[in-house]
Amino acid sequence: MTKSESRSAAFRGFRDAISVPLLMVGGGMAGFGALAHDIGFASWEAVLASLLVWALPAQVVAADLYTSGADLIAIAIAATLASMRFFPMAVALLPTLGKPRGGRLGRIAQAQLMSATSWAFLMRGSAPSEPRQRLAYHTVFALTCLSIGALGTIAGYLGAAGLPRPLALGLLFLNAASFTVLLIETRNRQALLAVVLGAALCAPIHSVIPEASLVLASVIGGTLAFVLGDRLRKPAG
Amino acid sequence: MTDLPHAPLTVVLVAAAATFVWRALGAILVDRIDPEGAVVRWFTLTSYALLAALVVRLVGLPTGSLGGVSLAIRLAAVAVTLGVWWLTRRNPLLGVLAGTACFIAAVTWTAGP
Repeated sequence: MTKSESRSAAFRGFRDAISVPLLMVGGGMAGFGALAHDIGFASWEAVLASLLVWALPAQVVAADLYTSGADLIAIAIAATLASMRFFPMAVALLPTLGKPRGGRLGRIAQAQLMSATSWAFLMRGSAPSEPRQRLAYHTVFALTCLSIGALGTIAGYLGAAGLPRPLALGLLFLNAASFTVLLIETRNRQALLAVVLGAALCAPIHSVIPEASLVLASVIGGTLAFVLGDRLRKPAG
Repeated sequence: MTDLPHAPLTVVLVAAAATFVWRALGAILVDRIDPEGAVVRWFTLTSYALLAALVVRLVGLPTGSLGGVSLAIRLAAVAVTLGVWWLTRRNPLLGVLAGTACFIAAVTWTAGP
């Protein structure tokens, strides 16, 4: 009984992954594939980035800094900051999957498979609620997204190489468009403040220290939003 | 592009390691961290600020081929993305598709026959 329930949760994970995530993950990773082609990565290096990093912002940040000639430490710091959100995401998601087989390693494997999309789908009210079913659902959902991501990367890479210039540039623009929408979906005011501050600080910092503009704008913007937001919240609450 | 200081593979591995650290740390500390706590909140806010700064860099200060497209087109396409997202009751997919389509149309148009 449990086995068949897990199996049907797994099937649901697959079915849900080939709906909207197919387009969002495939489109986002196609944007990365086009970027990777633009900056001179080999196609296998682009796909490897999607499979191993499996986090679009960190991939785009690393690629962007790579072309601007930044040193490895700067790239590592920026990618670390870009991926920091996986920590709170893992803390919120993993306990809801129960105790996976393989103990801690099993948990790390689920955390490695997790993406912003899989996290959001598992946090919906309509996702399975029983831990074993959630585990099956998440495993299949995330593996399907990862496959879509790898295929999207290749498609974007080949598209950038072979499509007419406006379409190839359109693929490059996909990253900016999808991150913009991701940001504007923010409901929380304190997070919106962080968005505004990060955006406002980037250009002025860039004119002085181009290499550090991402890192400084995010740390200063995030910290200011943290401090100001907490103060703003107090009188209201 | 020939004088860049690192091999792409090194950059990929560095980014993968940087991302893996947070995933693994979350998996290991899962029972000891308050998901609503101050540390987690600062992490989340800083991530949002970084993503916003990244959009500014991609749209306003692009390093690659996007730099060859005028700033007006890049900004207009972002505006269309936001406008359509809002008009379609916050549909992210339609916003992204419309913004990208406008971007492609504008690039084609300005490139001339």
